[in-house]
Amino acid sequence: MSECSGGSCSTCSSCGSDDPDRLPPGMLKVYNLNQSTADGILVWIETEPDGDGVRMADVSAELLGAARKLSDGRVFAVVFGGTEVKPLYPRIFGCGVDSLYHVRERELEVYRPEAYASCIVSLIKRIEPATVLIGATTRGRELAPRIASELGTGLTADCTGLRAEGRKIVMTRPAFGGNLIADIECLRFPQMATVRQGTFPMPEEREGTGTAIYWQFGDGMGKDIVSEERVVDSGRDIRDARVLISLGDGIRDRSLIDVAESVAAKVGGMVSCSRSLVEKGWMPRSRQVGMSGRTVAPDLYIAFGISGVVQHRVGMSGAGKVIAVNSDPDAPIHHYADLSLIADAGEILREMDRAL
Amino acid sequence: MRFAVAVKQVPDTMEMSVDENGSLVRAGVPSILNPYDECALSRVLELRREGDEVVVFTMGPPQARQALERCLEMGADRAYLLTDRDFAGADVWATARALTAFIIKFVPDADLYVFGRQAIDGDTGQVPFEVAAQLGVQQFAYVELLSVSHDGFTAVQDYGDVRRTCSVPRGSVVSFGTVDPNGTLVSISDYLSAGSKVVEEVDRVSIGLGLYSVGLKGSMTRIVSTTASSSARRNRKVEITDPAKGARFIIDELEAVR
Repeated sequence: MSECSGGSCSTCSSCGSDDPDRLPPGMLKVYNLNQSTADGILVWIETEPDGDGVRMADVSAELLGAARKLSDGRVFAVVFGGTEVKPLYPRIFGCGVDSLYHVRERELEVYRPEAYASCIVSLIKRIEPATVLIGATTRGRELAPRIASELGTGLTADCTGLRAEGRKIVMTRPAFGGNLIADIECLRFPQMATVRQGTFPMPEEREGTGTAIYWQFGDGMGKDIVSEERVVDSGRDIRDARVLISLGDGIRDRSLIDVAESVAAKVGGMVSCSRSLVEKGWMPRSRQVGMSGRTVAPDLYIAFGISGVVQHRVGMSGAGKVIAVNSDPDAPIHHYADLSLIADAGEILREMDRAL
Repeated sequence: MRFAVAVKQVPDTMEMSVDENGSLVRAGVPSILNPYDECALSRVLELRREGDEVVVFTMGPPQARQALERCLEMGADRAYLLTDRDFAGADVWATARALTAFIIKFVPDADLYVFGRQAIDGDTGQVPFEVAAQLGVQQFAYVELLSVSHDGFTAVQDYGDVRRTCSVPRGSVVSFGTVDPNGTLVSISDYLSAGSKVVEEVDRVSIGLGLYSVGLKGSMTRIVSTTASSSARRNRKVEITDPAKGARFIIDELEAVR
């Protein structure tokens, strides 16, 4: 701050400091012509097919609930789809949405990242939210950067926590190293973040009412989708399991996967894995725990032959209790477990299968 | 045809260890070419036909040159290293801005801009799509298979719940979602001819960006603070010689949670 020589200046703001305690006498606040009027939070609601209709993705519902608590301003939501989305209205408003923008263009009923991004950008320019929240799903992680880039704003990926300071949001995510948690802020409005599923509690099932607005948008970049095929999943999601038997690089024998499945079935759990087994083609990606897989929080997580690199730990740090079985006494996983067994993972698995 | 492949040098996280205080030991950890990028590059090299050119580029400190040399050994034709002190501390936006400026200046006519899904040192896979938006081209994420078609390419994308086949127009951004578990085989002839290829250095001025467009100054996010995450694990270590006893330990714990 450059000092005013007379000490009585109250007209010129050229010595303006952001520190409100150091203003020239007589001045109550710094006038900033660039101050944005952005306020409120916008959430993209992702839908998943559910029988004949659609349902709201869990992470979207969690974000709506969080948005209501983070902002005393308005909560906006945007959803794409046709008439099949209408039955979701009561649930969406029940999560605390004030205004729902429903994009009903036929072209946009199928996910197209370029057009979705342009459409959401047009909406953001109209409603000027202070914050835009998107679930860190496969589609969300592709869509959010496209939006942020078109707006020229900042984006924090894979947040594991959000905290409001006025309309500013402090975003928390595990930093490189995993044992550090970084608080990140965005220097521009709208502030953008993708947020992992399970970061916020699911809002209670409640029906509500609010304003639904059909948003017209017919300007999207075309995309030539030749075909689309739904991948049949094995049913249950590892994120819902209370007990996870998780396998890693130390599992050298493919038959051990069947042993693990048998153990999991006996204890009512599921089998998950680290990245290496997915890359070997032994396990589907839907079973992968970690940064490039899913974030899980079971009551008990049993890691067999998992070394415990940062990328894996990020995905399982929310587990109630962790047991690690690894023959390498120096494996990092041992530092992050409640109980570490220095033993051969395969032998223990076979023995458990026999004993149960 | 011309392919432009973006790569990154990363520390080999598989080699990382944790010291007795639970903090990460970075010293002495070797740097490698990001495995996702290595896979993306090898897929592109498989597509290459006579007369095609494969250009690789990276942004990083001067030692990131090693990652580019590895790409040249794999068979890439040309390599650019975006290196400048001013690039340091860039977030996604500033990184994408520098890469886009580079692309427009040095490889504006590429038929495909190729990325790996994400960097294994904790990056989050956002850069490809920010670049796509800034270039104003279509983006194709989580690509598993890519083939040449009559007027461009065809990509198979894996969205987890859906597999989608798209036709990819020339000039698009493609992000490969896969990694080769066994690494990449390098042919002797490619390896030997790599010695004659040079890595060209590119700085901020030569891509035509101002000081406030790149690095920390050009970033849209800032780290406010970092705190040590509290590890509340009990950390009891037991060495097991008898597998039956080990199994018993775990079964007891299982019964406790049920």
